[in-house]
Amino acid sequence: MPDDLSTIRPALKAAAPRLHSCANVVATGVGYKISQGARTSNLSIVCSVSKKLSPTQLSTRDLVPPAIDGIPTDVVETGRIRAFQSRTDKHRPAPGGVSIGHRDITAGTLGCLVQKNGSTFILSNNHVLANSNDAQPGNPILQPGPIDGGRFPDDHIADLHEFVPITFSQPEPPSQCPAARAVAAFLNATCRVIASKTRYKIVTLQAEDNLVDAAIARPLNQTGVKDEILELGIIQGSAEAALGTTVKKSGRTTGLTTGEILQIDVTANVQYGAGQVARFTDQLLAGPMSQGGDSGSAVLDDENRLVGLLFAGSDTTTIINRIQNVFSALGVSR
Amino acid sequence: MTLAFAAMLSAIVLVQACSEEAEMPASIYGVKTKYEDQLMAKPGVVSVGIGRDDQGNAAIIVGLDRPRAETVEALPKELEGYPVLTSVTGPLKAQ
Repeated sequence: MPDDLSTIRPALKAAAPRLHSCANVVATGVGYKISQGARTSNLSIVCSVSKKLSPTQLSTRDLVPPAIDGIPTDVVETGRIRAFQSRTDKHRPAPGGVSIGHRDITAGTLGCLVQKNGSTFILSNNHVLANSNDAQPGNPILQPGPIDGGRFPDDHIADLHEFVPITFSQPEPPSQCPAARAVAAFLNATCRVIASKTRYKIVTLQAEDNLVDAAIARPLNQTGVKDEILELGIIQGSAEAALGTTVKKSGRTTGLTTGEILQIDVTANVQYGAGQVARFTDQLLAGPMSQGGDSGSAVLDDENRLVGLLFAGSDTTTIINRIQNVFSALGVSR
Repeated sequence: MTLAFAAMLSAIVLVQACSEEAEMPASIYGVKTKYEDQLMAKPGVVSVGIGRDDQGNAAIIVGLDRPRAETVEALPKELEGYPVLTSVTGPLKAQ
């Protein structure tokens, strides 16, 4: 019996076009023949079929012959073979790590599910779910996001519920308040008298620095979402990331990537589209692990504990909100 | 009027507080917070954070949008005993 790969492979190559023309055949290859459920030591030409039918249900032409050039064949049912679903496809139920977005944006990443007042919500960035403050609660959220072909109403997965407004930086304007200016002038005169180098300048109060770029959306249907993250699995609670913590994320654009926390307590100026800049404080900084479209990815440590929410970066750097700040800003938990 | 008076009083208290130097060695967090605005104001600085130098010591790390010799020159080499390093991160953008 020919059991030598060098004989079988040319035979398979010659027979493959004919075999693939048989109804239901989806793949051919070389493998050990399975007989009565057990693997034998005989090599065979294996024909994978979408559905295994009895010979009486098939035309003679569509029957896989019992042997080809003396080499036995085997027919196994694998079902239809599909490419793994892409992250930019429509997913129902949708796990973390796939494309999502407000109807007026391009696309970001569905981070994970969180709880608030006993309900389940989708967590991602403000600039993904709430179009960088330019949205109203109740606006439709699409999965996949618009740039990935998401359309209303077919791909409507959730409604924007709440977002933490982002404060964009503005040049510091001098105060217009005359009373305040008079007080400042007096105080500065006092300082000069006592030879202190302290001086007072009155400015219009700037809003506080940002801690998070975060928003939540309410799924239209609980069966439309899945409480796990593509390629990362189930989240095991949350934790604090520290310098040196190994982290990973699963995002729409770059998929599963890993990195290391290189800086903590980071203050960073982040650009949002057309010339808008927002200053963030108390951020985590990791090496390169993301690109545009990965925003909103949940960041986990190596024990699958949630440590952050990815929102910005460059080719060399990734900026991550601490999950503790996200939880307290939105009043959500895991 | 009452407000202005209160402001004057607190100013005097502040002036006195400022003239007394804290004796405790400051934590790197405190030092970073103290100098942060000053560091962020230098041309091309996009971030200031706490990381480690090559020897593993706690360091203040200043991120730059591109290589900038003048800014690197103008930055202090250390602040209250903590090394100050620079790192070119490129412009940071929402993704």
